[in-house]
Amino acid sequence: MALASVLRAELAEFSPNFPKNFPKNFPKNFPEDFPDDSEGIPEILRDPPGPPRVLAAPPWGFEAEPEGPGLQILHGTTTLAFKTPHGVTVAVDSRATAGSYIASQSVRKVLPIGGRMLGTMAGGAADCAFWQRLVARQCRVQELRNKEPVSVAAASKLLANLVYQYKGLGLSLGTMLCGWDKRGPGLYYVDSEGQRVAGAAFAVGSGSSYAYGVLDRGLAAAARSEEAACELARRAIAQAAHRDAYSGGCVRVMHVGPEGWREVSHHDIAELQDKYLEA
Amino acid sequence: MSILACNGGAVLAMRGRGCVAIAADRRFGIQAQTVSTDCQRIFPMGQRLLLGLAGLATDVQSVAQRLKFRLNLYELKEGRQIKPQTFMSMVSNLLYERRFGPYYAEPVIAGLDPVSLEPFICSLDLIGCPMVTQDFVLSGTCSEQMYGMCESLWEPDMEPEHLFETISQAMLNAVDRDAISGMGVVVHVIEKDKITTRTLKARMD
Repeated sequence: MALASVLRAELAEFSPNFPKNFPKNFPKNFPEDFPDDSEGIPEILRDPPGPPRVLAAPPWGFEAEPEGPGLQILHGTTTLAFKTPHGVTVAVDSRATAGSYIASQSVRKVLPIGGRMLGTMAGGAADCAFWQRLVARQCRVQELRNKEPVSVAAASKLLANLVYQYKGLGLSLGTMLCGWDKRGPGLYYVDSEGQRVAGAAFAVGSGSSYAYGVLDRGLAAAARSEEAACELARRAIAQAAHRDAYSGGCVRVMHVGPEGWREVSHHDIAELQDKYLEA
Repeated sequence: MSILACNGGAVLAMRGRGCVAIAADRRFGIQAQTVSTDCQRIFPMGQRLLLGLAGLATDVQSVAQRLKFRLNLYELKEGRQIKPQTFMSMVSNLLYERRFGPYYAEPVIAGLDPVSLEPFICSLDLIGCPMVTQDFVLSGTCSEQMYGMCESLWEPDMEPEHLFETISQAMLNAVDRDAISGMGVVVHVIEKDKITTRTLKARMD
């Protein structure tokens, strides 16, 4: 499967079994004499025998709807991202719930992929963290090989293809890859169903409907300045946190521009709501 | 999803010196969606008697209304205010009548005896089992969180102001750890000569 084969590809050149003075020492009776590189990989990283192992922990918490094929439970969160002429504005909440228990109000739901791209997290936290980190690694290798920063389209394709191999096994991932490459601002939505779409604005998570309401209303005005865009993103997350029980905590707004990504602001939702709900 | 966890909500009552306090959150939601932030969960049942109900919102309203009806008849027949202990039995009876198709509401009663002004708190489960305690009673979706807060903060013989602070902190912090409760807290403190009602500013997420 993807994981072991990715690792195997990277490790081949550094395996101790790789023949010295290659290709002069190329074995005569290839492929029988060719060292099997899978011995160089530790036991724990090789593909296990039998059917593919599910990497994701089973979803826990309330079983509101039965998990059938095609039914994707959107886990508690609200994340959004939209493109403007200045770059991509990203905003996320920070609540994690286990059933109705609030497990944390300070989860980091934006994961940097290199210095120039951000990936948001919705769905299973472990799934998002792991696969995005793997993609970040792949992007770095690609950057070193091609001597050029990897494009958002390529990174999102890498992620989509990786998770597609595990389709149907229970991975839960709903992420937006945001970056700036030679084509300008790039924004892709990738999920564990194998969907990969480019777009100008997305909101993902259980509170996404409420965020879309605020976002759609102000998108045209947000293109005016970076400050207006960040304020719109902040407002949308605050509204979603208010209406959706499974979103809340604090709003983190980030911006990805030509120079890379940076954190714009970090506000507790309680203080934001004082400002907005009275207005 | 559990029927009691469909709308969310929490009620807490504490006993102090010569006073009782009862608090409830204000969220009314349908699973994840918050529909309103001004839901009434505490109902006046006498001059110094308040009933709080947590659970399915429709049953909260139905039980409160049916109970008020029975209470009105009692007051007309008896010509006096009901005692909290007697009211507890009335609630228990109403709930047990529906033993095999219960109201999904768990009540909490807080009040002062109309004659001796002795503080009284009790809670019941959804089929009417009464439980009288000397410290605090609670019901709702964040009951575990509330138990933790109450065990830490409650102390005996608190004056009304101190009781108000205690119950407020217990409630606010408990509902902040529950996704389906919160959106504001209302606190009533019942003393011998007045009932003070305060609405707390809380996290609205």
